[in-house]
Amino acid sequence: MKQVVQLNVNDAEHELALDPSRTLLEVLRESLGLTGTKEVCLLGSCGACTVLVDDRPVLACLTLASACQGKRVLTIEGLRQGEALHPLQQAFIDKGAVQCGFCTPGMIMAGKALLDRNPHPTPDEARAAIAGNLCRCTGYEQIVEAIVAAPAVDEAARVGAREGGHYLMPDMAE
Amino acid sequence: MQPLPKFEYREPGSVAEAARLLAELGSRAKLIGGGTDLVPSMRQGLYTPAYVISLQRIADLRGVAWEDGVGLRIGPMTTLREMEASAEARARFPFLAAAAREVGSPQLREMGTVGGNLCLDTRCRHFNQSEDWQDCVEACVKRGGEFCKASPNGRARKCFAVFSADLATALVAANARVTLQSAGGARTIELADYYTGDGASPTAGRPDEVLTEVLVPSAMQGVLGTYLKYRMRQAIDYPIAGVALTLRPRDGRVHDARMVVGGISSRPVIVKGLGALLEGKVLDETLAESAAKLARKSATPLANTAGDRAHRKQMVYEFARRALAEAAHAAAGAGGGEAR
Ligand SMILES: Cc1cc2nc3c(=O)[nH]c(=O)nc-3n(C[C@H](O)[C@H](O)[C@H](O)COP(=O)(O)OP(=O)(O)OC[C@H]3O[C@@H](n4cnc5c(N)ncnc54)[C@H](O)[C@@H]3O)c2cc1C
Ligand code: SF4
Ligand code: FES
Ligand code: FES
Repeated sequence: MKQVVQLNVNDAEHELALDPSRTLLEVLRESLGLTGTKEVCLLGSCGACTVLVDDRPVLACLTLASACQGKRVLTIEGLRQGEALHPLQQAFIDKGAVQCGFCTPGMIMAGKALLDRNPHPTPDEARAAIAGNLCRCTGYEQIVEAIVAAPAVDEAARVGAREGGHYLMPDMAE
Repeated sequence: MQPLPKFEYREPGSVAEAARLLAELGSRAKLIGGGTDLVPSMRQGLYTPAYVISLQRIADLRGVAWEDGVGLRIGPMTTLREMEASAEARARFPFLAAAAREVGSPQLREMGTVGGNLCLDTRCRHFNQSEDWQDCVEACVKRGGEFCKASPNGRARKCFAVFSADLATALVAANARVTLQSAGGARTIELADYYTGDGASPTAGRPDEVLTEVLVPSAMQGVLGTYLKYRMRQAIDYPIAGVALTLRPRDGRVHDARMVVGGISSRPVIVKGLGALLEGKVLDETLAESAAKLARKSATPLANTAGDRAHRKQMVYEFARRALAEAAHAAAGAGGGEAR
């Protein structure tokens, strides 16, 4: 029997009638069209489906959507602040931490969870935070560099904003 | 995407209500903590409960607290991350916090609970497979068939699937007890006795019981402990072998030593004779080697997880030796007097 579930996803309130066997990943991708969160192993072994639920990094493929009643969900789509990218997203671009991009949303969400708790992580702390996220392309080094560099990117963006500029998405900057 | 088998979902607000639901629904229901074990197996069609009952809204089941004269009380819905970060656990039994940290990945520890770790299903390469794969092969004992495919001649009528929970192994070494509650009442048993050794039915918990508390008795205060884990990758992977050791150093000698090995059998294996071998002795290299050999002897893995059997056995020896070396070092650091 379907249950009505209230979810706050990226600051938007949703009320959905859901079969309790549906996972958060299915609801995000299929009911809400938020396909930034990736589906890969569905068994908890790759981290590609990482989202934040009440600020905690969890695997959407193993999370029942009904269990998220009244909770706050943050996905990769919710990171962007208006036109500006989140500093961690910008850092991924600056450091070339993306190749095929399939692991990227999960990596960024895991990285964000770390930065929220520890704003100036060391490379080893960054490695520990993404230990549950597999990447088959990059060799991880640039991803670690991007997470470590994010605070500086944040600072640069702040300075830019003070000076009247914006840190724009690359396609918008053209 | 392959959907989960359909079920009804309940979130009782109290243990009494959860127990009442279990009494009513019996084996049609399964409890869920963080879901990191149950959901993947439901995804593979290994379990198809008609009801999934979550304990997440029962606030009493969460938290780690020390009580003088009683011990360290751990609520089963405490997440592994909360366990690894718990100031009480880290101050009194740092090896338990360390064992929690060895589990899976950051996300799995954020979701996974202590109770789910203790009640973790056993694993086997013939069992933890997709539905498609299962459809192509004959069912083994754990899936209701006649024979165990992992047994040497494929004719054993018992399941030997492996119990691979890191924290549970360390908690057995810590002489932990668990309380199980049903609508009919509560019972408290040694965690070691909670495990049956039967891979098809690994715990002595009944389908109508909720594990409501884990207690590390206050008498364990001052014990030195270690948990060492062998696995392929330094994250995500289950243990190929996990070795937990507790002992009490006094006047430079070892007392009350207990070693438990996980990841090799259907239950956490307490190494027989190790306590007696070490009791009252100075833990030098020769003695550590004899003790590690006992650990190897107690390990009789079957070909059902990563790594071949001889290698797994040898790794039990190696990790036991390292755990003993670490303990000898820590005991020396403790100054030979009262343990830290
Ligand atoms: C990719 C991957 C890697 C993993 N690696 C490891 C690892 O290295 N080491 C390790 O130890 N584990 C590992 N795990 C397993 C798991 O994440 C942890 O053991 C976790 O602690 C399980 O807790 P849970 O709350 O998620 O369990 P759940 O899935 O919620 O429950 C597990 C079982 O316990 C029962 N249960 C839960 N709570 C109770 C209760 N209070 N009373 C009675 N029954 C209960 C459930 O009915 C279910 O049968 C891994 C899992 C995955 C998916
Ligand atoms: S140990 Fe044997 S019975 Fe148990 S799951 Fe493996 S093959 Fe099946
Ligand atoms: S898709 Fe969720 S962990 Fe791989
Ligand atoms: S960039 Fe391709 S998997 Fe990471």
